[in-house]
Amino acid sequence: MILAFLGSGALLAGLVLAAFSALLSFWAGYAENGVMIQVGRRAFYATAAMILVAGVLLETALLTHDFSLAYVAEHSDLSTPIALVAAAFYGGQEGSLLYWTLILGILGSASLLASARIGLRLAAYSAGIMAAILTFFLVVLVLVASPFDVLQITPPDGLGLNPVLRDGGMLIHPPVVLAGFASFAIPFSFAAAALLAGRSDAAWIAHTRRFALVAWGLQSAGLVLGMWWAYHVLGWGGYWGWDPVENVAFMPWLATTAYLHSSQVQERRGRLRGWNFGLVMLAFLLVVFGTFIVRSGIVPSVHTFAVSAIGPWFFGFLGVCLLFSVGLLAFRAGDLKSHAEPAPAVSREGAFTLQNLLLIGVIVVVFWGTMLPLVSGMLGQQRVVGPTYYERAAGPLFAALLALMAAGPLVPWRHAGAPLWRSLRWPAGAFAFLLAALLVAGVRSLPALLGLSLALAVAATVVYEYARAAGRWRLAGGGWSRALALVMRRRRHYGAYLAHLGLAMLVLGLAASHFWQQEKDVTLLPGEQVAVAGYTLTYAGVQNRELADHSELVAAMSLGGQSLEPARATYAGLGGQSLTHVAISSSPIADVYVVLAGTNGDGSASFRIFVNPLVSWIWAGGAIIILGVLLGNAGERRVGVAPVAARVRSPVGAS
Amino acid sequence: MIRWGIAMAVVAACVGYLVYSASGGSSEYYLTVSELRAHSPTTGDVRVAGVVQDDVQRSDGGLHLRFTEKDGTASMLVDYSGTVPDIFRPGITVVADGRLGADGVFHARALLAKCPSRFSTTPYTS
Repeated sequence: MILAFLGSGALLAGLVLAAFSALLSFWAGYAENGVMIQVGRRAFYATAAMILVAGVLLETALLTHDFSLAYVAEHSDLSTPIALVAAAFYGGQEGSLLYWTLILGILGSASLLASARIGLRLAAYSAGIMAAILTFFLVVLVLVASPFDVLQITPPDGLGLNPVLRDGGMLIHPPVVLAGFASFAIPFSFAAAALLAGRSDAAWIAHTRRFALVAWGLQSAGLVLGMWWAYHVLGWGGYWGWDPVENVAFMPWLATTAYLHSSQVQERRGRLRGWNFGLVMLAFLLVVFGTFIVRSGIVPSVHTFAVSAIGPWFFGFLGVCLLFSVGLLAFRAGDLKSHAEPAPAVSREGAFTLQNLLLIGVIVVVFWGTMLPLVSGMLGQQRVVGPTYYERAAGPLFAALLALMAAGPLVPWRHAGAPLWRSLRWPAGAFAFLLAALLVAGVRSLPALLGLSLALAVAATVVYEYARAAGRWRLAGGGWSRALALVMRRRRHYGAYLAHLGLAMLVLGLAASHFWQQEKDVTLLPGEQVAVAGYTLTYAGVQNRELADHSELVAAMSLGGQSLEPARATYAGLGGQSLTHVAISSSPIADVYVVLAGTNGDGSASFRIFVNPLVSWIWAGGAIIILGVLLGNAGERRVGVAPVAARVRSPVGAS
Repeated sequence: MIRWGIAMAVVAACVGYLVYSASGGSSEYYLTVSELRAHSPTTGDVRVAGVVQDDVQRSDGGLHLRFTEKDGTASMLVDYSGTVPDIFRPGITVVADGRLGADGVFHARALLAKCPSRFSTTPYTS
C-alpha cells in the first residue's frame, strides 16, 4: 500500500520535472543561456532519478509479494520462481512502459553527459526533446496505465505469470528488445536538435552515430534473442513468422542499418545530409508506430496484446512526432542541400546509396504486409498475407543486398579504380565455388542457391579484408601489441566487418534451415525407433514429474548416447494450461528438435520431429554481430568533432 | 541529383512490382465464421477466426483434432492434423487457416491460437 503511494508520487514528480526540463531546455537553448541550460539538464537527470525510484519501488512490491497492487496481483504469484517474479517487472503492459521510460531516462542521461562538448544550443535542444518524449511516457504512466493502481481488496495470492513467459528467455529477451525500442529516441533527439539549431553539418554525426549504433546493437540482440526464444519455447520448429509484432521490431532495425551506412557518405563526402536526418527520424517514427500497432490491437496478430487505452495515446504521439519531423525537415530543406560533387555510380558512395534504397524497399514491403489487413479492411473484406508474401517480395531485395555486401566493401570511395575485378575475385570465387558445389549436390532452388552462395561471398570479402590487415601486420613486424593497435586504430572498420561476418553466418543458418528443414509426425510405442534425415531416435517411455509450480509429462527419447526429454507441462494454478517443453539436440550441422504432441492409453506417444540444419549458426552469427558492434563502438573518444568536420570540408572541390 | 532520382525510380518500380506480384498471389481473406458463411466460395485458402467450443475431440495421440469454431451467430466444424498450440482449449479464440471442404467441414492446414498475452491476464474485479 505504502509502496503504491510512494510509486505514484515518484511518477508524478518525474512528470513535473520532465515537463519543466523540456520547457526550460528549449527556452534556454533558444536564448543560449548557459546557466538555465545546466538547470534544464539537471532537471532531466532528476526525472531519470524519479523514474528509477518508481522502478525500484515496483520491483520491491513484486519481490515482497505486495498483492495490494493490481499489477503485482495480475502478473506474479507465490509459487513462481523468484527470478521470474522479478522479471514480471516488464512482463505486463504498465510495467513494460515503466521499464521503457526508465531505459530512456538512463540512456538519455548518459547521452547528455557524453554531449558536454557538442555545443550549447544543440545540447539544450536535445535535452529538451528527450525530456518532451519522457513527458509523454510519464503522462501515459500517470493517467492511463499506472503500475501503481491499488486493489480495493488485497487477494491472498496473485494470478501468476503466463506459462509461456516462464522461461529463462524471459529474463533476457524482453529487457533487451524494450531497451532497443527505447534507445531509438536518443539519435532521434540529436537529429531533431541539430535541425532545430540549424547545425546540419557533420558535427552531430559522430555523436548521433554512437547512439544509433547502441540502438542498432540492442535491437539486433533483441531480434536474435526473440528468434531464439520462439525457437526454444513455442515448439513449431521455426523462429520467425512475419507476425506484425516481429515486423514492427524489424523495421526500425532496417532504417538504422541504412543510416549507419549512409552516414559514412556524409562523413567522408559531405553528401546525403537530409537523407541521413530522415533515416534517423524514420527509425524512431517506426518505433512509435510499432508500439501503437502492437498495443492497440488494430492488426490481427498471434500476439494479441490487450486492446488497451494506451492505443489512442500512442496514435496521437505518432501524429505529433510525424508532423514535427516532416515540418523540421521541410523547414531546413534549404540548408540540407549538398555542395559536394556527385560521385560516379560505381563507387562506395554509389554502393551505399543503392543499399539504402534497397533497405527502404524492404521496409516498404514489410510495412505493406503489416498494414494490408487494416487497409483492405477499410476498403472491404479484410485480407492478410503470410510468410510467402514476405519471402517472395523481400527475397530478391535481400539477395541484392547480400551481393552489395559482398562487393561494396571492396569498391573504393569516389571512383572505381581499374583493378576492381582483382579485389572482387575473392567474393566472386567463393560465390562460384559454393554455387557449383550446390548444383553438383543437386540443389535446383534458385533462392537457396543464391542465398547460400551470396552469404559465403560476403564472408569471403570479410576474410579478404582481415587477410590484408594481417599482411600489413606481418610487414610491420607482427606481435600482439601491434595487432591490437592495428585493430583499434581502425576499430570502426574492423567492427563493421565483424558484424558483416556475423550477418553472413546468420544468413547461412537462416537459408539452410529454411530450405532444408525436415519434419515428421510419428506415434511410437516404448522401444520403437524412428529415423529422420539420418538421425535415429528411440522412444524409451513416459513418466510424470512434479516441480515447484507445475507438473511435467516427460516422454524420454534417446538419440545415439544422448537423452532427449520432450515434455508437456501443466500449470495447476492457471486453469490447467499446458505447455510444450521442446527437446533440442544441437550441433553445428543440425538441430534435432522434438515436440511431444500427446500420449495415448497404450503407453505410446506422438511426436513431431524436426531436423533443422545450421540453426546454431544463427545464434553464433548474432553473437558475432554484437561483438562487432562492441568493437566498433569501443571507446571512441579520440575521434572528436573537429577531425570529422575537417574531413568533410576537404574533399569538396578536390575531387 | 538526376542519377539519384533515376536510381530511386528504378528501385521503387522493382519494389512496387515485387509487392504487387507477391501480395496478389499469397494474400488470404481474414474472416469470422459468419463472414465465411456469407462469403461466396473462394478458390484460395482463407483464415477464419472464432471461439473454440467444448466439443474438442483429439485422436492420434493429440495430433489430430476436430472441434466446432463459433462466433456470435454461425459455427463450423474444423478438422486439423498437426501440432496443436499450447494454449488451445475450449473458450479461446483461434484462427484456422485452410479451406471449407465440400463436406461442409473446414480443413485447416494451420491453427493459430491467439496468445492470451502477458498484457491480458484476467484482471481482478473487486
